[in-house]
Amino acid sequence: MSKYPEYNHDKGREYFDRALKVIPAGIYGHLGPSEGLWIPIQKWPFYSTKAQGSYFWDADGNKYIDYMCAYGPNVLGYNDPDVDAAAKAQLEKGNCTTAPSTIMVECAENLVNTVASADWAFFCKNGSDTTTLAVMSARAHTHKRKIIFLKGYYHGDFQWAQKVDYPGILPEDVCHNLVAPWFDIDALQKLYDDNDGDIAGLIAQPYDHGNFKDNEVASREYWQSVRKWCDDHGVVLIFDDVRAGFRLDLAGSDHYYGIKADLICFCKALANGYNMSALCGGEHMKATVSGMTYTGSYWMSAVPFAACIACINKMKALDTPTLFRKLGTQLTDGFKAAAQNNGFDLVVSGEPALFYLRIANDDSLMLHQEWIAECVSRGLFLASHHNHFINASLTEDDIKVSIDIAEDAFNVVRKNHPELF
Amino acid sequence: MTDAKTMAYINMYAVLGTLENLCELDKKAKEILSSLKSPVSLAFEVKDGPAATLTFSSKGCRMEDGVNNPDIKIPVSSCEKFNKIIDGEVTPVPTKGLTKISFLLKTFTALTDRLTELMRPTEEALKDREFFVLSTRLTFYTIAVAMSQIANQDAIGKASASYMVDGDISLGIKNCDTATIRVKDHHLVTIKKAPEKPRAIMSFADYDLASDLFNGRVNALEELCRGTVEIHGMASMIDNMNRLLDRVALYLA
Repeated sequence: MSKYPEYNHDKGREYFDRALKVIPAGIYGHLGPSEGLWIPIQKWPFYSTKAQGSYFWDADGNKYIDYMCAYGPNVLGYNDPDVDAAAKAQLEKGNCTTAPSTIMVECAENLVNTVASADWAFFCKNGSDTTTLAVMSARAHTHKRKIIFLKGYYHGDFQWAQKVDYPGILPEDVCHNLVAPWFDIDALQKLYDDNDGDIAGLIAQPYDHGNFKDNEVASREYWQSVRKWCDDHGVVLIFDDVRAGFRLDLAGSDHYYGIKADLICFCKALANGYNMSALCGGEHMKATVSGMTYTGSYWMSAVPFAACIACINKMKALDTPTLFRKLGTQLTDGFKAAAQNNGFDLVVSGEPALFYLRIANDDSLMLHQEWIAECVSRGLFLASHHNHFINASLTEDDIKVSIDIAEDAFNVVRKNHPELF
Repeated sequence: MTDAKTMAYINMYAVLGTLENLCELDKKAKEILSSLKSPVSLAFEVKDGPAATLTFSSKGCRMEDGVNNPDIKIPVSSCEKFNKIIDGEVTPVPTKGLTKISFLLKTFTALTDRLTELMRPTEEALKDREFFVLSTRLTFYTIAVAMSQIANQDAIGKASASYMVDGDISLGIKNCDTATIRVKDHHLVTIKKAPEKPRAIMSFADYDLASDLFNGRVNALEELCRGTVEIHGMASMIDNMNRLLDRVALYLA
């Protein structure tokens, strides 16, 4: 008998069936069944109706402790009172206006004072907006064509960032993309030589936090050698800090590794769920970015700027990177012990603030997917293929309950597989 | 964009290769073969392309890679010409086995005509449930084999294969036909039976859904959301296999 009974998702399914008639795939993208890998789909909640702190509630009224945090934006807790108050106050003054609000300047100053490599900030809406601007800027700055990516990369879904075999992508869209393995400076040099030095930039996440595999953290020595290699060859170093930004180091993940990127992309944790992103960079890149033709209808809306300032100030006050490391370690140590109690080998990888999980008893991830599904259907929201996220509202009690549900789910999977134990 | 060499590999192993399944599953094909008094082997050897030998007997048909001392040998000067032979635009000329020419003209032609009838069915014919199921099953095997050929030959297919880790993928129609897509060092081989220990599984709910998918009437990702396509295991393998499936439609449309 399971300590935590399985949830029912009848109302969620009703909404989803309605959605399938009017929305392609019902819920498209990473928050939906296909990219979110809801295996099996019956175990997942489909939609939420409300959220608070570390929790959301689905259409059937079921409560979930959420370790995906909307895939990153929830950094302080859903409905954080300080961020929401700042946003509401700004909303009363004005939001999407012909002349941008003065708060845009204050937001940029705040970012410049926070991010070590930032001398300026250019605001957009999504992570892809910033990675695209960064790649365009690298090309404009160097007058070169090729961009180096590191294996297993993800820099958004715009055409240039997809792969040649993806639907709707032409070979011409990605013909200037070069891919090097992680942690291999010689490979960078070989790409440079093979392409006669026609390299505009190198774009990378702070460490290898790819999907379907254990995450591999980087070292300061690695990034310092990449920085030197880029300097020696006139290659623009772009840090894609969309996912990890502000969770490792409030001064930027490049600062965490002891370097300054030429350009650094932020989004998810920037404003605790208010829709904005920012490309920041060094003074030497400012003139180039000033000359770019690049804008959007909502990119200078004031409410997210107010939320961003409040969010950054609160992250500083809480020292969230230190908090996330502590909470992430505590949680994953508990998960590992719960796994061991039930005969499972749970591998935890990546940074504790963005921990990645994998049951290593089989090499197919099938056991892992079963365990994740049993967790989710009991109120512990994890993902089977992606790193997770810690938020600052998470409490010690939340962690205890999470470990308890995880253990219950391990127990269910163990009982479903008597042949393995 | 498609290329002639990939098409030739598909025509050889996926299209002609489905004669194996036709002879096993179809009563009419069995009747055609019943007149054979002794086995007859027929090899196609395509310059700068595929080579395979089909051996027919009253019990069925099997395909082997390469030219293995066949009764009838048909050398083809190019992939383009081979593709025209399969499309019926060029008549094949054997250089060996002229005494067995009647097999080529009668038995082999009757089998390929039957295969075409099932693989390019009329709307009217599909109203017969038995015919529909057989047509869908044969299409399934054709597609499963075509996918591996695309992964190994087509430039964009090779890109998909380059992202695939080693292991067996189980591709099937639930409780019916299953094939193994074996990945080893980014080279794919299709085996027309279920794997013992799959690393990833993709299964379609039934023949109707499989038919809709194969004919482009529905999308695999949308059906995944609907719950009529199930996946388990190393989803990155399935993700890339789906991209190969997309290209099968391009070649076999």
